[in-house]
Amino acid sequence: MASAPTVYIVASDQSRNGKTLLARLLADYLLLDGKDPFLIDTDAPEGPLRHFFPGRTALADFEKIQGRMKAFDTILAAPGRDYVVDLPQRHMLEFFIAVRELDFFAAAKAAGFRVIVFFIVDRATSSLRAARDVYGEKGIDLFVAVKNEYVGSAWPPGEGALVIPILPRDVALAISERRFSLRNFVLGDDQGLENDQRLALNSFMFAVLGSLNSLDTEISLAALRHGG
Amino acid sequence: MKPTLILVGADKGGVGKTTLSRGLLDYFARKNVLTRAFDTENPRGSLRRFYPNITEVIDLANVAHQMKVLDTMETANVPVTIVDLKAGNLSYALDLFERIGVLEAGRNGLFNLGLVHVVGPSIASLDEIGEIAKYLQGVHYILARNSINETNFFEWDEATHRKYFAAIPKAQEINIPKLNEMAYEQVDLSGVTFKDFIDNRSADGANGKFSFVLRGYVRKWCNEIDAEMAHVQLLQEIISGGRSSSSAAA
Repeated sequence: MASAPTVYIVASDQSRNGKTLLARLLADYLLLDGKDPFLIDTDAPEGPLRHFFPGRTALADFEKIQGRMKAFDTILAAPGRDYVVDLPQRHMLEFFIAVRELDFFAAAKAAGFRVIVFFIVDRATSSLRAARDVYGEKGIDLFVAVKNEYVGSAWPPGEGALVIPILPRDVALAISERRFSLRNFVLGDDQGLENDQRLALNSFMFAVLGSLNSLDTEISLAALRHGG
Repeated sequence: MKPTLILVGADKGGVGKTTLSRGLLDYFARKNVLTRAFDTENPRGSLRRFYPNITEVIDLANVAHQMKVLDTMETANVPVTIVDLKAGNLSYALDLFERIGVLEAGRNGLFNLGLVHVVGPSIASLDEIGEIAKYLQGVHYILARNSINETNFFEWDEATHRKYFAAIPKAQEINIPKLNEMAYEQVDLSGVTFKDFIDNRSADGANGKFSFVLRGYVRKWCNEIDAEMAHVQLLQEIISGGRSSSSAAA
């Protein structure tokens, strides 16, 4: 997607609407693209993301200063690779307050990073407001509104958004198993899925990876618009 | 420009007196005002650890040491002299300064004289103000409520507070905001100034390798202190005076 090392932040003001799934898709996309992403799961101590990417995930409890250090200092100490930050709803406001107080985006920029925020816009209108607030944060290179079709979204239909299509329930369950690797699935390992399940997941992955890929164009356009 | 002597004191230990002295020295450094400091915590001198080049450890009871502070006020050519008074020593020190004529000299305009009185979160602090009020004629009195190490500051009884406070001419108040404990500890452990910590410089001038997050919180804290100091007339006079004299020199 982005050619420069990038900090991807996956956020929402609501819970249980596919944030971790999106972070996972993003990480698998980057891996398939030959990148070496490192993930920061701020949902400590549970750390759902770590189950899927052991060895490249750090757990950081954002409520504690140690967690903030783990998140921000890790990123700035080793620039030159991609980072995916999965931000649970309960830490989102705090996260952006800390970003402002510490001027993190400016430091990230100075270290050569781009900042891309994925915001899952939930059904409630309040979610739309929250999305606009985050959109207004200084230092974000690209803001991507995300609609999860399974949850529904208050994002206006006409405006551009990344869409997470609906998966059949049994397939959604199957891929939520820790052992299931979306990347291996794309590479041809169906990991025990039935034929119709395989087809459903196939078109799902095709759609999502396609949208992530097309963000490239989006980024170039945004750069052009900003004269960069 | 007239030099300024700032005494920093408290009647109790552990209220952040040395931190405040450090905060002041740092503040002046950020504003490019030269300072020198005397640490009366003889012989240990914790202030000296952070500012080895400008701090001297003295014993206030020693006459030769008293002279070291006073006789150099005009010759030192440094606009600000800070004396960090030993904890629990405030009334004693003021009494001493009164007897040897320091307060008198300040009143007579030989130099500006300020007292930063650091109070902690206890109601007993108000009584301290009453005790020292008699010394404060002609002194810029700055009451510093220190919340650095405390989450909750006590509720001031406004009526009582005003009664004490009104008795002192030229009284001003500042609040020293809370600094995250871990950030505070790291600065302490590294033995550097707040400014160097923010700039990621270790004591020997090398790259400090300090945490970005902790540096950020120290920077935020210093900005908050700047905002508080901006209300203090004595400090602002020093800073604007320092600036005009340096531009005159240039």
